[in-house]
Amino acid sequence: MLDLYDKIQDALKVIQAKWDKTPKAGIILGTGLGGLVEEIEEEASFEYTDIPHFAASTATSHRGRLVCGTLCGVPVVAMEGRFHMYEGYSLKQITLPVRVMKALGAELLLCSNAAGGMNPFYSCGDIVLIDDHINLMGDNPLIGINDDRLGPRFPDMCAPYDHDLIDKALGIARQEDIVAHRGVFVAVAGPNLETRAEYRFLRAIGADLVGMSTVPEVIVAVHCGLKTVGFSIVTDLCLPDALKPADVAEIIAIANAAEPKLRTLVKGVLTEYAGK
Amino acid sequence: MFKLKAQVEDLAAAIRRRWNERPLAGIILGTGLGTLTDGVDVEVTIDYEDLPHIPSSTALSHKGRLVCGRLGTVPVLVMEGRFHVYEGYSLETITLPVRVMKALGASILVVSNASGGMNPFYQSGDIMLMEDHINFMWRNPLTGHSDPNLGQRFTDMSSPYDTQLLDTAARIARREGIQHHRGVYAAMTGPNYETRSEYRFLKKIGADVVGMSTVPEAIVAAQVGLRVLALSTVTNICLPDNLGSVGKYDVIRAAQAAEPRLRYIVKEVLLEEQSQLATV
Repeated sequence: MLDLYDKIQDALKVIQAKWDKTPKAGIILGTGLGGLVEEIEEEASFEYTDIPHFAASTATSHRGRLVCGTLCGVPVVAMEGRFHMYEGYSLKQITLPVRVMKALGAELLLCSNAAGGMNPFYSCGDIVLIDDHINLMGDNPLIGINDDRLGPRFPDMCAPYDHDLIDKALGIARQEDIVAHRGVFVAVAGPNLETRAEYRFLRAIGADLVGMSTVPEVIVAVHCGLKTVGFSIVTDLCLPDALKPADVAEIIAIANAAEPKLRTLVKGVLTEYAGK
Repeated sequence: MFKLKAQVEDLAAAIRRRWNERPLAGIILGTGLGTLTDGVDVEVTIDYEDLPHIPSSTALSHKGRLVCGRLGTVPVLVMEGRFHVYEGYSLETITLPVRVMKALGASILVVSNASGGMNPFYQSGDIMLMEDHINFMWRNPLTGHSDPNLGQRFTDMSSPYDTQLLDTAARIARREGIQHHRGVYAAMTGPNYETRSEYRFLKKIGADVVGMSTVPEAIVAAQVGLRVLALSTVTNICLPDNLGSVGKYDVIRAAQAAEPRLRYIVKEVLLEEQSQLATV
């Protein structure tokens, strides 16, 4: 029944057979944001299908590759493409890579996503540092018997995102003249985008952004004791009283266009954290 | 298709073989409230592992046995250790004991739990009498093919918690000077505690406390027609603008400190109910 621990070990063995460094950080790259891997000095890489117990990445613009190497001189392991609940995977499967990153020795999780902006002060292409989240996925990756080797039964969520690193990221954004905000991300299962009434509801309960990922990974990061920074790129505006049909190609184009800004912030936070 | 009815009957028969009484009330004890059974004159105890269809309980501070006996003069069936969604159980399994209590002839269900208080008037250690709930577990124990032998398809929720029991409990608490409130409980799956934004959200939609249990049991109790008294011990304060982290044992410690007051209220309410039945 407690097979998760063994699954982590299986994946770990395959990765460590080709790459024996200890990563400082794990990076998860979301929709349209995979470009950052170009900057990683790649030392090893794995198709998800070659890592035991990893799911296959099926979502649009998610490449499905784990890249190990150094970014700005810091050893990192990066997921080029992630898994989503709407692909039919269980939250335990979706979050397995986070546990593997922890097992490899990572201390920090940097994750990114493309999100719908509900806060009227946001514009398309803006970056939002996730300050807090609301889990409205209807599920939780920690349901089931708890394996105390992996983390506590009842993880506390009073600060799932690292405030110091958020401040650092915002400081870098100001220096580099990048528009960045701090906001609350609400996670829904998807895959349909929200109705106008749903956007009104999500806005009313205090969310600034809505997306279909990240929260499961962050819950697991807190459970296993990783510091987390979450970056959202606002790829469409979800203003219920002036709502236009969402165009996935356009969302990806906006994510791609904003990707260099994300790159700057991820690299900046990473170098600050690693003290380089 | 309707295997649930058979499971209920199996279980009721297994309990009756060991304890052939008709309980007035079934009692489900939550986190840190397990010592309520210290006040019960125990006649029979049955470990969950000796019962069919019932899983063993895994939560911290939950023992996992059924205690049959008397609280004062009131025959009661007490579940020491309950099942939670976060342990991975289905709501059907979690609520099976409620159906068994009904099958054994109980007319009242008493449920206790530990919760996080979001209402700023609440303090750690206060007792909240549950007056209503919000089901945010994304699941329902009545989903599936409906067996007409178990209850209605569309269970009414206009008053899942019995007003008379609530009034009696409040009167007893006032009489004894016990700090208590009436409020709304929001049920989440857990197992992680909520984020600041989630507390803000739950507060905004009308909840006073938040927890990870009780609502499934109350829904089934409403379906089978048990009168419910639910008592929540506020074990930690969840004010989103001043949120501290919750330690694993803080909750249990606060629940245990409140336990004598809770025990007193439950016993007195049941004694009053019993004497009313006798005079009818």
